[in-house]
Amino acid sequence: MVYSEKAAKWVLSFPLLLFWVVMVVFPAGYAIYLSLHDVSMGQGMSSFSGFGNYLEILGDADFWHSIGFTLEFALITTVLELVFGFLLALLFNRSFPGKRPLLSMVLLPIMVAPSLMGIMFRLILNENNGVATYFLSLLHIQINLFDPDLVVPLMIVLDIMQWVPFTFLIIYSGLQGVDPGLFEAASVDGASYWRTVLQIILPVIAPIFFIAAFLRGIDAFRTFDVIYVLTNGGPGNVTKTASIYIYEAAFKSGQIGQAASASVIVAVFLLLLIPFFVKRLSK
Amino acid sequence: MKARKPWLTTIAVSVIAVFLLLPLLNTLMTSLKTTGDINSFPPKFTFAPTLEHYRNVMFAAGYDFTSYFKNSILLSVFTSLFVIVIALPSAYSVIRLGFSSGRLLTLSMALRLFPPIVFAIPYYLMFQYLGLLDTVTGLILINIFLNIPLGLILMVGFLQELPYEIEESAKIDGCNVYQILWKIILPLMAPGIASVAILAFIFSWNDYLFAVIISLNKATPVTLGSTMFITSWGIKWGDISAATVLSILPPLLFTFFAQRYLVSGLSMGAVKG
Amino acid sequence: MKGLLTRCVTLALSLTVVLAGCGSNQDSSTDAGGASGGSEQSGTSKVSMVYWPGPESDAMQKVVDAYNSGQGKTDGVNVEMVLLSRDGTYEKEAAMMSSKSDEVDMYFTASYIIGQHAPSLDALDGKLNTDGYLKSSVDSLRMNNETLAIPMDVSNHFLLYRQDLIDQLLSDSAWKSKYGEVSQKVLGQTLEPKDPKDWTWDDFIAAAAFFSQEYNPDSPTKYGTALQMKNLIFNVMIWDDFLWSSGGSWLDESGKPQLNSDAAKKAMGIYSTIYNGKMTSPNSTVAEYPETQAALQSGNAAFAVQWGAAYDELNDPARSPNIAGKIAVAPIPGEHKTHVHALGVGLNKYAKNKEAALKWMNYLTTKDAMQIYADGGGIPPIAEVLNGLGEKKPVLPLIAEHVDKYGYSTPIIAETQPIMLKLAEDLSGAWAGKDDIGKALEKAQTDVTETLSK
Repeated sequence: MVYSEKAAKWVLSFPLLLFWVVMVVFPAGYAIYLSLHDVSMGQGMSSFSGFGNYLEILGDADFWHSIGFTLEFALITTVLELVFGFLLALLFNRSFPGKRPLLSMVLLPIMVAPSLMGIMFRLILNENNGVATYFLSLLHIQINLFDPDLVVPLMIVLDIMQWVPFTFLIIYSGLQGVDPGLFEAASVDGASYWRTVLQIILPVIAPIFFIAAFLRGIDAFRTFDVIYVLTNGGPGNVTKTASIYIYEAAFKSGQIGQAASASVIVAVFLLLLIPFFVKRLSK
Repeated sequence: MKARKPWLTTIAVSVIAVFLLLPLLNTLMTSLKTTGDINSFPPKFTFAPTLEHYRNVMFAAGYDFTSYFKNSILLSVFTSLFVIVIALPSAYSVIRLGFSSGRLLTLSMALRLFPPIVFAIPYYLMFQYLGLLDTVTGLILINIFLNIPLGLILMVGFLQELPYEIEESAKIDGCNVYQILWKIILPLMAPGIASVAILAFIFSWNDYLFAVIISLNKATPVTLGSTMFITSWGIKWGDISAATVLSILPPLLFTFFAQRYLVSGLSMGAVKG
Repeated sequence: MKGLLTRCVTLALSLTVVLAGCGSNQDSSTDAGGASGGSEQSGTSKVSMVYWPGPESDAMQKVVDAYNSGQGKTDGVNVEMVLLSRDGTYEKEAAMMSSKSDEVDMYFTASYIIGQHAPSLDALDGKLNTDGYLKSSVDSLRMNNETLAIPMDVSNHFLLYRQDLIDQLLSDSAWKSKYGEVSQKVLGQTLEPKDPKDWTWDDFIAAAAFFSQEYNPDSPTKYGTALQMKNLIFNVMIWDDFLWSSGGSWLDESGKPQLNSDAAKKAMGIYSTIYNGKMTSPNSTVAEYPETQAALQSGNAAFAVQWGAAYDELNDPARSPNIAGKIAVAPIPGEHKTHVHALGVGLNKYAKNKEAALKWMNYLTTKDAMQIYADGGGIPPIAEVLNGLGEKKPVLPLIAEHVDKYGYSTPIIAETQPIMLKLAEDLSGAWAGKDDIGKALEKAQTDVTETLSK
């Protein structure tokens, strides 16, 4: 009986289903339950508040600002990381001396915990003993990288420094599967190289672009550590991401019910994107 | 392809690599400086290296870094194992056997959309009830949860690339589903599985938020341990740099040995036809 | 596949074994205070206490060790200190408190967060004697007439300045006349240099300009001062000194916010004058304690309003080779008011081991315990202990004196930290010149009013 395909699909999915019930259904349900109650730190559960928390969050300009910034940040970083990751992958797709050690080196930033990476950036960008500021001063560039006008581009550059290696890895792997003949054809006539890349190679690896875009886009949307460590969302609220907003609501202001409802809103918002990706991935 | 001047590519890639590695190079340098050298300006690029910060981290700071490393390694190894054990069969069931016509996949991917913070307090409550607070087991469970979507997405991609004909002929030869999965899919997918394992290893190694919420003192992983050098009176730059360098070593070694599986594995799901 | 897995597992296992090997050596040398199975069998009850990593926990570990090997044996109590990361401490406690957890017996808390922790803490009145502490520190952990925690460590601010530079300013006639010129330029009036202990805010600004190369190309420092402007509650505490020492405060006597007061405008004005006038580094927008230390240590800044604990490091030749021995202390300019808060420990309302925890807390309130704590590098709010260590650490008696004489505490209410969060966000933009001062203060006024009405 278990050997029939009908049974097998249940048997094989069982670990995931079990995991779902244990690790997802309860916490997600509980989070929604929290979002409908007036809960604050220490008080534990108090009264049912209906959609009060939701209305509170939806009416908070600060929340919308953080969503706006997060979207902008996620969109720009994801696009740039895909582009740079792709270009780097094209470079690596040639044969050149020192390829293997360089590949290992390029992948290194992925292995640093973002929470520690933030500290490392803080060290390098520190004005008084930081190396970056020192080099800029040698070039007679006197700017404050954390100026309200520059801080967003700075955060984007830092995100790129850590995560281009990730998009590179996925896209480079994709290029490995491309018939080398396609590239040979391109290299015969240098002028047509970019046309070949855009018209032939890119469509072939489009699916992996979607995987990279999905994984990176979602993570960029949840960005927390590096920005939290460096600017704490400031100056003002210029760099406050949705995750920082929720974190502050839950752990700093102690408004756990409100934090839960903000998370549900963010999740619902992102859920709208899912069908788009699933269609691309499982076509 | 063959470039005409391969060393030009080497130079270009090296420049990019150095740029990407700036923070790490700076960290490595800082970890080898004395505190006085770290605090001086302009920054010193030549200095008498010292291992005092490494000694401090491992033996003198009063933190049990050896057990933090042990926790991190257990956490990452078991997380990547379980991610595979759960994701592979269910991906197979969804793709080849048409289970739940993709809804399970959608739901699992949707999981990745929730800001993880929202689960912090429910998990705390649940683990309190189950007695899993401050245990590596608890951290493993959560990290499986965090990495399952990644595993599923990649596995589904890989599976779609495998030619169905092999499985069909195996079926005709009388293999049942489990035998096909075990004897045919598993070996064929090996590189893909390895790449999922590596990524799950790295990402679970790097988790911070849940480490804070779940561990107390017995299950502290190394990412959390390193942040103890951030004190209310400043950051011990030398110590935290040394801790960071040490904390990269295990995932680095892991990836170094498995690098070729990583790229060739991920390339599995890449291309149609 | 098999080969790879085997390799990975072998690698992991061998690493584990190697590390565990180190671990067992390590354990034997540091395990002095750790609880072991043996002591539990002999009827010892275990108390676990959350504390904050850093110098505070280094000092507390000494007290814990002394207790466990001494009076703890008589009491039948063994104390275990739990360290979480700096931010993680409050995150983890939030999770524990909202689950009414009994995972730990004692929580780490502080004046600015005690209002949020209050529902999870037992009142200690009548159970412990807190007479030995500086009164302001005990009061800063009280709410609704209940003592919710005992103070362990006290924090305040000083004006830390370069003695060598100020001495020259007060004696060198060329410097004096340049000072008059610069002050005319930035303030519209010619000022005489003064000793920092007598500074008004105008003197503060004039000196900041004088020591900035923007106004005085011959200045030995690049910037006069170093403001801490990152969006952080700790930086609001520093800005509060500017507010309180200009005669203002958050709330008026009836408890209503008054952030649009003249004093608040003045305090904001000092920040924006200094920041826009380039008398502090443009990077001050992300500065907090360590960046300010670095500004002083590197010789880039001449003075700063900074946390009291900074003094020792700045005058230590090993850690601050450029400036050690040149840093002196003055009260905050203007009305000299300094923010004071205490870090403390409170009793978890849901703890299993309340009795044992109280025995340990009782020990903590003794002068002996606090002496060990101070010897270990902590700053216990007990005047006698701090004064006694004056020879070894000259800053400690100053802390005792300033806390007593100039200290103020921000209102101790459930909303203390939420208000600070709002202020950090609303004001840090205006400090950096991004937002208009008046508008930022109006926004702060509205936000704080709303926070209080919740």
